[in-house]
Amino acid sequence: MLIRPIGSDFRTIGFYLGRVFLVVAASGLFPLAWSIAGREWGPFSSFLLMIGVFVVLGAAMALAGRDEQRLDWGHGMVVVAVTWLAVPLIGSIPFMLSGHFASPLDAYFDAMSGLSTTGLSLVQDLDHLAPSLNFWRHLLHFLGGQGIVIAVLVLVAGGGAMTLYYGEGRDDHILPSVRSTARFIWVVAVAHLVFGVLALGAVAYFVLGFGWIRSLFHGLMIFFAGFDTGGFAPQSTSVGYYHSAVFEFIVSILMVAGAMSFAVHFALWRGPRRSLIRNLEARTIIGTFIFTMTLVLFGLAAMNAFGDIAGLSRQGFFQVLSAHTGTGFATVPPTEMVRWSGLAFAGMAIAMGLGGMASSTAGGIKSMRVGLTATSMRHEIQSILLPHGAIVDRSYFQFRNKQLTPALARSVLTMSLLYITLYIAGAVIALAYGVPLQQALFESVSAGANVGLSVGVTDPSMPILLEITYIIQMWLGRLEFIAAFALIGFLYSMVRGK
Amino acid sequence: MLVMTAAAVLIVSVGTGPAVAQEQIVPVADLLTAPARYDGAVITIEGELVGDYGYRASGMVWTQLNDDSYARDPLVDGGALTGANAGVGLRIPEVQMAGLSAPGGYRIRGPIVRATGQWRFHDPSRQGETYLDVSSVQVIELGKQLEEGPNGAAAITGVILVLAGGAMMMRRRYLRARA
Repeated sequence: MLIRPIGSDFRTIGFYLGRVFLVVAASGLFPLAWSIAGREWGPFSSFLLMIGVFVVLGAAMALAGRDEQRLDWGHGMVVVAVTWLAVPLIGSIPFMLSGHFASPLDAYFDAMSGLSTTGLSLVQDLDHLAPSLNFWRHLLHFLGGQGIVIAVLVLVAGGGAMTLYYGEGRDDHILPSVRSTARFIWVVAVAHLVFGVLALGAVAYFVLGFGWIRSLFHGLMIFFAGFDTGGFAPQSTSVGYYHSAVFEFIVSILMVAGAMSFAVHFALWRGPRRSLIRNLEARTIIGTFIFTMTLVLFGLAAMNAFGDIAGLSRQGFFQVLSAHTGTGFATVPPTEMVRWSGLAFAGMAIAMGLGGMASSTAGGIKSMRVGLTATSMRHEIQSILLPHGAIVDRSYFQFRNKQLTPALARSVLTMSLLYITLYIAGAVIALAYGVPLQQALFESVSAGANVGLSVGVTDPSMPILLEITYIIQMWLGRLEFIAAFALIGFLYSMVRGK
Repeated sequence: MLVMTAAAVLIVSVGTGPAVAQEQIVPVADLLTAPARYDGAVITIEGELVGDYGYRASGMVWTQLNDDSYARDPLVDGGALTGANAGVGLRIPEVQMAGLSAPGGYRIRGPIVRATGQWRFHDPSRQGETYLDVSSVQVIELGKQLEEGPNGAAAITGVILVLAGGAMMMRRRYLRARA
């Protein structure tokens, strides 16, 4: 029997939601300070308004809410799902007031894209956007990639930390407690931030010849978008703007680091490193990367897209890596990528759809699930081929030997099918608007897997229903469905519960 | 007969890249939608320089030229929203940079220039990059500073909300302390 939520349920959810809002309000102080330093008074006003809305809502919810009741699984999931809908809504206020978006929905689209680390964008005249607004776009990647809820755990952890942690699609047990794990994730992020910004800034200054302030600006923006596998860029021509193989190389390192699970980061930092290569997930992602890279290279070669092997390798490698890690940076414009057909299109779409490692900032089905699905299939085939009664070894290695139980196999397969359904659903809606099949599929997979590469379908003139579809895809893809389903269940029980 | 001849000339000029006339101003949108068509041709494009001037050790400067509507009518100056930017990369010899004002960005409308050079599509010498290898730059219009004032209503509302939120948090702290 469905139980209708009562006042205490709403107060518990509201209390934790309020805490999240207050943390996001605090993070809004960074772009506010930036706008003051840059004397950008238009954006300054809008950041002030955004912070005010976050603060007043956060404080009201904290005042009306209650924290005596421990956050249970259902409440936690609802908090996460609502957080990921409400934060982009309020966070889009500076975008709405900037004059760079045609409608509030477009501004919301970009905020959701930023927070979900997708990177699709409807901003107009990006090349004249205020630096503080550009910073806010990229900071949304960082907040979403590192997990707003994780920030809450680190700063104001209370009961129910585990639920919030799982709700954001993470399941790494790196350290004994979720709070210490969350802290480790932020330590990794800050270490990469220092390395990334310094490395990119140094290349921009010494190799590209930018001024030092602009070098640091580009370094910071590209770091946020690269490490958090987001895909926004400070200029309209994405990473192609820099015309530098060295710059692309460092961006590639950051994209790979962002697509790695934090368990792998932990193993790289503190060992055991040797077991990494035996991991099912690592082997799967290396295998799928080589596979999709091969498809794209053969496809581009067949199209004679690049005249020589050096161009083919550099451009092909970067686009595939960007797609597979779920980043969405590009060094070729959408008007060119739209002509990538056959194997090149297939390779890119598969790379985007599969995504990075579990519990990373990347989206998509995730390598762990792909690896487990393949292992499960192998076991099934073995059990058919072997004599009746023979025992099939159903173990796999992921830091240690584990058993692939039928329940786990079912859960992995279900999740993979949900992603495929999400990709197809988005493509069908685009098809209904007359978008060609290849472009419809490409853009839908890009949105659902939180990648951000575009072949031009995502455009300020796109139909509203398609825009809403991509927003929902980005939300569902980032939350890996569970928290979203919990919210739907909660809403349903409000109506039909007793 | 005259029509057929004209049509034949048109087909030849459209179909072969290097045959594109040197002084013909090519819209950037055309370069983006059919970049291979102009490969190797000497073309002229016109628009606003935006972003950065990257002075490299090779004596070349890399920047971006946009010829979208914002180049002439920036949003801050009351220009209309017309979609995303349309720009291509430029490689300019450093000696050609004299007299150019700061590139376009926030509150800066960059210089409007007419750049002539060879269009390099998937240049093998730069591992597949696409850009205009500029040989001459003519400044059509110098850049200008633009103004954007504060949004007073938004700022005041924001301050009031922050104060209200702060008061609520103090109230909560008071209630907890009393309990």
